[in-house]
Amino acid sequence: MNGIEAKFEHWVGRFRLCVDLELPAAGVTAVLGPSGSGKTTLLRLLAGLEKPARGRIRVAGNTWFDSTQHISRPVQQRGVGVVFQDYALFSHMTVAGNVGFKLPRKERAARVAEWLQRLHLEAYADRYPHQLSGGQRQRVALARALVREPDLLLLDEPFSAVDAHLRQRLRNQLLAVVAAYRRPVVIVTHDLEEARVLADRIGVIVDGRLHRLGRTADVFSDPRDLASARVMGWRNLLPVRRLRGKAVGGDWGELVLQGEVAVSTSHLGIRPEHVRLAKTVDEAGLDARVVRVIEFGAYRELQCELRDGTPVLVHRNWDEPLPAPGSAVRLELPGQHLRALSEEVAPLCPAGGVLGGSDSHGVTPGLRPVVNHP
Amino acid sequence: MPGVDPSLLGPVWLSLRLSLTTVLILLLIGTPLAWWLANTRSRLKTPLEAVTALPLVLPPSVLGFYLLIFMSPQGAAGSLWQILVGHPLAFSFAGLVVASCIYSLPFVVQPLQSAFETLDRRAIEASWTLGASSAYTFVTVVVPQVRRGLLTAIVLGFAHTLGEFGVVLMVGGNIPGETQVVSVAIYEQVELINYDVAGTLSAGLLLFSFVVLVVVYSMNRRWFVENRA
Repeated sequence: MNGIEAKFEHWVGRFRLCVDLELPAAGVTAVLGPSGSGKTTLLRLLAGLEKPARGRIRVAGNTWFDSTQHISRPVQQRGVGVVFQDYALFSHMTVAGNVGFKLPRKERAARVAEWLQRLHLEAYADRYPHQLSGGQRQRVALARALVREPDLLLLDEPFSAVDAHLRQRLRNQLLAVVAAYRRPVVIVTHDLEEARVLADRIGVIVDGRLHRLGRTADVFSDPRDLASARVMGWRNLLPVRRLRGKAVGGDWGELVLQGEVAVSTSHLGIRPEHVRLAKTVDEAGLDARVVRVIEFGAYRELQCELRDGTPVLVHRNWDEPLPAPGSAVRLELPGQHLRALSEEVAPLCPAGGVLGGSDSHGVTPGLRPVVNHP
Repeated sequence: MPGVDPSLLGPVWLSLRLSLTTVLILLLIGTPLAWWLANTRSRLKTPLEAVTALPLVLPPSVLGFYLLIFMSPQGAAGSLWQILVGHPLAFSFAGLVVASCIYSLPFVVQPLQSAFETLDRRAIEASWTLGASSAYTFVTVVVPQVRRGLLTAIVLGFAHTLGEFGVVLMVGGNIPGETQVVSVAIYEQVELINYDVAGTLSAGLLLFSFVVLVVVYSMNRRWFVENRA
């Protein structure tokens, strides 16, 4: 296996992080989750800045961590490139100094020159970080992380320090660099759009558990559980009270899905762009009232309320007719776009046997694991 | 200096030697202590901080009294010293160094601790991910980032040791060439109504302190401008 294989469990106080993931040898994986879900901790564990309580991490065929064999490769020897949030550049060193940090003296000049050129930083070699723009700093951080050609590149919220209007351009730049880099890349973010643009795979992490891991399009179109749906920006979530074959009902009405619905279904989800306004009130659908209309330029968002008060958002193109706020409408929720969501999760988490037999080196829940600070 | 009694240079030289030795030892002891205080979550942190700060609030005579007991040939450190070195610790240069290290500890530890507390931890971790050991990281990343705190610690530790009087008098007495530092020499000259000599020494100390502070403030200012993002 040339990619990443990481199965581990980690405790931060009472917070439990558990992860079971396998990633291919190349490509970008975005780890999405609300703040405090354990995203950054996951990154730190992969980098070796913290040690999992138990489990194993293998990257490009090398074992970086294995609690059963007492292997824990120090961060210095992992060959991992990290772009930290806010970049963590060395403020007292020039751009060339940052990129060339700890490189062997003989090859330093050549490799620094190469990477400054690759990231269009030649003109800034002698500048200090405080003399650079946010985007230039990000490129310095990328060059510094990539100059060693690490087996794994980790990026922690790479755009949080950049102004919104610059993000799109920087994303494209990052995409170009990462595309040329044929190793696994893991980006931690809470920005859905960022994940969508950059990643070909998405992992959803909620409350320290990896809920989903799959191809970006798959996870977006079918989040499966309620927490993942929320993370993936599914804002129309109808609570389910009754299940009868393909028919699903609640205080808001009843809908018929295309297939059998799992008994564990707790909510129905649909994306705002898939909700349609029925032409006449006689058509099948759910009765609703328009509460507010918000202009977003290319599209407009109708904030509606079903009869029990459940909010439903409807996105309409800018050129489509709009009902006025306060008017009654009938909403069509096409069956092929409805998703049954369950509150229960089958998390990708090595519970018990997954880690490989009995593990006497596990820690008692609640104990703080050792962190390898100096 | 023309017109200055060469015998006055003895106390000046002794003061400089004492201050330099004290600062060097305090950097060796104070840096790990400050690092620990800045990073620990141990319950021992608060009591240790209080102990470190004690010399700031204790009257020098009180501190000097305890140190004298501690260093006397019957005391814990004094008796051990007597066995190992063969002469008493109290009323010796070595005794003065020990006393100065305790007396000036907070002046070195506190600026270092606050510098370590505001340190960008991610820069340290970035250095590790780039393959640097903790020692290499300390020298190349930490020290340049805390240079203002380090300079403040060195200058305050040096100046405070140079100016100490009460503790020196208690544990060192007034032995020319061994424990008679400038501040004690000034006191003695005043006792002898040699106001000219006391005045020369005092003016020298005043000028030195002023120059040092001007240098420190201007360096800090320059670094501040350099570091501003």
